[in-house]
Amino acid sequence: MKKRLIFILSLVIVFSLLLASCTPAANVEEPVGEEPAVEEPAEEEPAAAGVDLDAADIAASLPRDETLYIAGLQWSALVGWNPYASTNNNAMGVSAGSSARVPIWETPYMYNMINGEEIPLLADGDYTWNDAMTEITFTIKEAAMWSDGTPVTADDVAYTWATNVKYETTAGVGYGEYIETVEALDPQTVVVKAKLDADGNAVNPLLVKAYISSEYVVQKAWTEALEERAGFDAAALKEDPAEDFVASGPYTKFYNDDQKVVFVRDDNYWGQDDSMWGSLPVPKYLAHTIYADNNAGFLALKAGEVDVSQQFNANVQDLWLVDGLPISTWMDDAPYGLTASLPTAYYNLKSFGLDNVAVRKAIAMAVDYDTIIANAMTNQSPTFAQVPRSVMNPTAGEQALYDQAAVADLQWVGSDIEGANALLDEAGIVDSDGDGWRDIDGQKLSYNAVCPNGWSDWQAAMEIVAAAGEEIGIEITTLYPEWGVYQTVFVDGEQTEYDIFMVWSDGAGPTQPWGRVRQIMSSEFAGTQGNWNGNWGGYVNPRIDEIIAEIPATADQARLIELYTEATEIYLTDIPSFSLMYRPDQFYTVNETVWTNYPAADDGRNIPPMNLLDGYSIAGLYGLELVP
Amino acid sequence: MKHTLGQIFRSPKFLVGFVIFMAILLLVIIYPLFVTDNPLGIIGQGTFFEPGIYVNVYDSLRSPQYILNLDNAAINRIASRLGDQERQDMKEWLIEYGVPEDEIDIDDTESLMELWVNNYDSTIVVPGMTAAKRKYYVRLDASLEGILATEGFHISVRNEETGDLDEVGYVNQKDYVNVNQVANVRILPLGTDNFGRDMLTELVAAIGVSLKIGLVAGLIATMIGLSLGLLAGYIGGWLDDIIMFITNLFTVIPSFVLLILISYSIGQEQRGAITIAAVIGLTSWVWTTRAVRAQVISLRNRDHVNLSKLSGHSVLHIIVADILPYIASYVFMALILQISSGILAEAGLSILGLGPKTTEVPTLGLMMNWAMIYSAHIMGKWWAYFPVIVAIALVSFSLNLMNTGLDQVFNPALRD
Amino acid sequence: MLQAKRGMAVFSNCQSIGGAALKGYLKYFGGKLIWFLITLIFAFLLNFILPRLMPGDPVAIITQRVVQGMTSQTGIQKVYEEYATLFGTNRPMHEQFFLYVRNLFQGNLGTSFSQYPRPVADILKSSLGWTLALQLPAILVGWMIGNTLGALAAYVKKGFDKVLLPASIFLSNLPAFGMAVILLVIFGVQLKWFPTSGGYGFDMIPKFSWDFIKSVILHYQLPFWSIVTIAIGGQAIGMRSMSIYELNADYVKFARFLGIKDRKIIGYVFRNAMLPQITGLALSIGTMVGGALVAETIFSYPGLGSTILTAVMGQDYPMISAATLLITLMVLVTTFLIEILYGVIDPRIKAAQTD
Repeated sequence: MKKRLIFILSLVIVFSLLLASCTPAANVEEPVGEEPAVEEPAEEEPAAAGVDLDAADIAASLPRDETLYIAGLQWSALVGWNPYASTNNNAMGVSAGSSARVPIWETPYMYNMINGEEIPLLADGDYTWNDAMTEITFTIKEAAMWSDGTPVTADDVAYTWATNVKYETTAGVGYGEYIETVEALDPQTVVVKAKLDADGNAVNPLLVKAYISSEYVVQKAWTEALEERAGFDAAALKEDPAEDFVASGPYTKFYNDDQKVVFVRDDNYWGQDDSMWGSLPVPKYLAHTIYADNNAGFLALKAGEVDVSQQFNANVQDLWLVDGLPISTWMDDAPYGLTASLPTAYYNLKSFGLDNVAVRKAIAMAVDYDTIIANAMTNQSPTFAQVPRSVMNPTAGEQALYDQAAVADLQWVGSDIEGANALLDEAGIVDSDGDGWRDIDGQKLSYNAVCPNGWSDWQAAMEIVAAAGEEIGIEITTLYPEWGVYQTVFVDGEQTEYDIFMVWSDGAGPTQPWGRVRQIMSSEFAGTQGNWNGNWGGYVNPRIDEIIAEIPATADQARLIELYTEATEIYLTDIPSFSLMYRPDQFYTVNETVWTNYPAADDGRNIPPMNLLDGYSIAGLYGLELVP
Repeated sequence: MKHTLGQIFRSPKFLVGFVIFMAILLLVIIYPLFVTDNPLGIIGQGTFFEPGIYVNVYDSLRSPQYILNLDNAAINRIASRLGDQERQDMKEWLIEYGVPEDEIDIDDTESLMELWVNNYDSTIVVPGMTAAKRKYYVRLDASLEGILATEGFHISVRNEETGDLDEVGYVNQKDYVNVNQVANVRILPLGTDNFGRDMLTELVAAIGVSLKIGLVAGLIATMIGLSLGLLAGYIGGWLDDIIMFITNLFTVIPSFVLLILISYSIGQEQRGAITIAAVIGLTSWVWTTRAVRAQVISLRNRDHVNLSKLSGHSVLHIIVADILPYIASYVFMALILQISSGILAEAGLSILGLGPKTTEVPTLGLMMNWAMIYSAHIMGKWWAYFPVIVAIALVSFSLNLMNTGLDQVFNPALRD
Repeated sequence: MLQAKRGMAVFSNCQSIGGAALKGYLKYFGGKLIWFLITLIFAFLLNFILPRLMPGDPVAIITQRVVQGMTSQTGIQKVYEEYATLFGTNRPMHEQFFLYVRNLFQGNLGTSFSQYPRPVADILKSSLGWTLALQLPAILVGWMIGNTLGALAAYVKKGFDKVLLPASIFLSNLPAFGMAVILLVIFGVQLKWFPTSGGYGFDMIPKFSWDFIKSVILHYQLPFWSIVTIAIGGQAIGMRSMSIYELNADYVKFARFLGIKDRKIIGYVFRNAMLPQITGLALSIGTMVGGALVAETIFSYPGLGSTILTAVMGQDYPMISAATLLITLMVLVTTFLIEILYGVIDPRIKAAQTD
């Protein structure tokens, strides 16, 4: 009897659930144009004219001597090809930014992070500012063509910008406050007009300049077709996977699924014209196997299945020193790569005692940076003795922008326990109650050192910071919350949970090092909510704000050096945060089993080590040779 | 009782397992008494130092030096920098350069070196040679410097005032030091891990922690399993239905996934070693409940139980006095198995990155986790992960062996 | 006496299902079905709630990915709100639950957060195939070999048994990742006999060609053997205990005295010993997804286990819910089927129903 009751009850519940599912769907948006990511190479129509896809000729496996294998960019299945979308998960093909990836979509200029130059790609020659520094003008190369044969015109550039603004794409929203319009003076000439402030000056000329080497140019005709297909709806437009894209780059899509992504070269690529590269890129296929994790990619690199690896490979030098494999990095010795960013430990200036500069400096001085670099980064970073600390990254371009001699005595090297102790003693911060820890007004100095769980090199660094604290009588304990939790706390400008916490910094780009100075110290970010921009400790300094406002409008090199030197001086005196190591934007390890003549530090070509796809580093694809 | 104990200790399997387990336990207890270093202390600046004896170079220069005339000292010295492979490579380069092959004798070190020094030029680009190979030759050339020298080294100290180097000593090629007389020598039998910590000390501490976690998890799981199984089995009826239902629910939801979810949810801050043990215990009591219940069901209709019932004893008294002793051996065996699986579960969790806080306590799973993150198994740094695997296997092997031995004692049919 | 009765039941299993037995059997079946349904409902609830109890905000994770390089506060806020509305995370929990159930019955498992806008069903489909292909044969092969070895050891005794038991205990106690790492290092990295990661060759594109299938089989070896060796150990021990127990039962002695051939007796003995092993097999198949997790992680094998792990780390609620639901369903269904099968095979149950 009881059992029957239960039986009926459960049936009722199940039926009611079934009934509930029959009601019309509520306002939950279903993504439009949901298509599976898998394609059949044999049956696919050529995406655009000019790409010869006689897939029948192509064996089930890619010819090894025509394929360049890249690893470390794509970690899960590719989603789309849409340059307006925010999440395509198409690491090789759609990744705009300071060094935009240009195998498929192209930008007017390519950024070279080694020397900060901007090299024309779609553009013809250098760009020019007008005298008031409110407009940039550049021309489009005559030879530049879309893959469907039509020429790239200034109209395309203008329409791309208009679309970005109208549909509030990442680029549109990001640059919308700094760029007023992009206009086509004539079919070959583009004028980018900056937004003006009350005085008639450009709000931020640096960011206006950044736009033309960071964002793609999209064909007007194709964009219009996309708009129609999406019904002029912003969400639909941005979610469209854009399988039928028309781009201007040397490669186009060939095949992708859960396990790999393959691009094939477009032999009609306009860039083989003498006004640009003069030849086609050497590898016919660009392939990226989707590895589950770092170790899988590392094993594949060792086995020769990967040619270019963008992964942090611990102790990578053992591969050629001990195993004798034909693997190299950018440089033969430590730091092995070209570092560009400064992972930084921020002080929460609201925490008790951290508002005192002596405490901040003492902790920063005491940390053993050499061990951090040797153990956490396995020496893939220059030490602070080799590149003294500042707000600049170690590249020649940025280091030239400040006067190192002027701030030399502010640049501490680390592991200075004595100095730190002396500093604290002088400031009157001693252990007054005999519990072994220093205190201020009777309250013990105790902090947590935080970074996300699983970020191994950062965790190792935090350990060493905590150990330093112990040496100087300040209690520091480590804390590793999950990434999902960490990034809800540190972006809250009013949080009091984390005292010392690690965040990345900006790497190399056309707006650097100004962007980094702003990120670290600009008061516009202090105390805000949902803050992904910077200054997470809440530091406020009006003088720095003035410097930040002045730099973008300054063209005089000498004045720039003065400003940057002053910014560095303020940074090293107030110490709102301190950098723990240097880190490359992209790691770069190459395997010479099949290909050779990769860009390297000493080869004189000045091609940046950015996996042969980012910005000017794509030049590397044109110089590859096969190993005989 | 005494008789049973005697039988247990005479069982060969139990004995072997017991001995292994005791040995490990003793190691964990005694080792820290002799080696008092902090197991989590970072002593190495650099990752994965190989196992060996580390002699302080500075102190060895200051130690008494002895002259030994050994025959093959010079040969060893040269061979350590110029092996067969290197000679072959040098010959190849020279041939590429244009030196006739018959002039090159790779066994004659002096003539080979002479040819090399005269002809090698790092700026020459050999067509078809990879950049890696070219860099290899540059390194080889640098390492061969002074290989045929017979002079020793001069030791100098920089003069504070003049900035010059003042010679304070001279080291001959025949000078040896006695390792016992050097002030600072550190034996690292298992090298260091990626953090630069002494592996052996860390391993011993980690075994201790893992054993503790296993014990707590096993106890919790067995306690829950025992109580629920007893209640369900003896009282029966609706209580049995409910308990069985909950048990089935837990069976159906994959326990490992549950473990991962809970572990993730409680967050890193709360994830101490004991908390993890509790979580593991709370998710693995299922089969103990089932087994105990089955045993109790078969027991509850026995004569002595009926007798107690007739005598009017309370339910609790019957359970404790009449049923519990009969399943005690079974429960004990279950406890051992739970400890073993608790240790494995913690290791599994830690390997996925969801174990206890890295820097408070070392556990076996965490050590494996870090070793894999820093690619130790790919780079051949066996000392960072292999001893950990052996330790886990030994601990759980010994526990299970003891369990099998007990099984044989309590179920004579299984004896061989 | 009880054992003799059971033995009789075994001998006389040609007694067909009588009318009374059938009715009892239906009662048995019905009872199981009730339990199945109730558990299903609870599983639904739990599968929905558990992932959402995890702290942290998945929408913020996606937002962070998208706003790299953006410096406008309002812009970032806008992006965040857009995603929150899309995923429905800004609605109350019960609303989300009903939405979830409704979508489920319409066959829509939702869209993954971390691989937006890829639908969850798509991701599951592709990884499930690999897991099944790896785990099912591994479990079956391990089960068969293990049971055979265990039964042999029980029957043959003497030397074979003395070697097999300790070896099995040791093998079954090696942690899963330990075996995986050792196999990887020895056969993959050092000897280079087998490839070290992935489901198929790095230069291959899935096609039904002989090359591709060969590549898949080659990549399959190491993960397969790492699971099988441990399974063999476990199964052998279990089967050995059960077989020994059965071999010493009264009815065997009785049958021997009657003069029945050994071979025939063995058949019956092992049929009896097999019963609990089948339950174990069912459980293994049901939980196989979770079991492969570690092997898949180490060998970077594209299966359901690694999908779940990535989903948990990325707080991908729909993915986690769907995956755990799938596992729950599989366990439930297999357990249910096995219980029914048990009812057919095990005459004791039939007997219990008739009296």
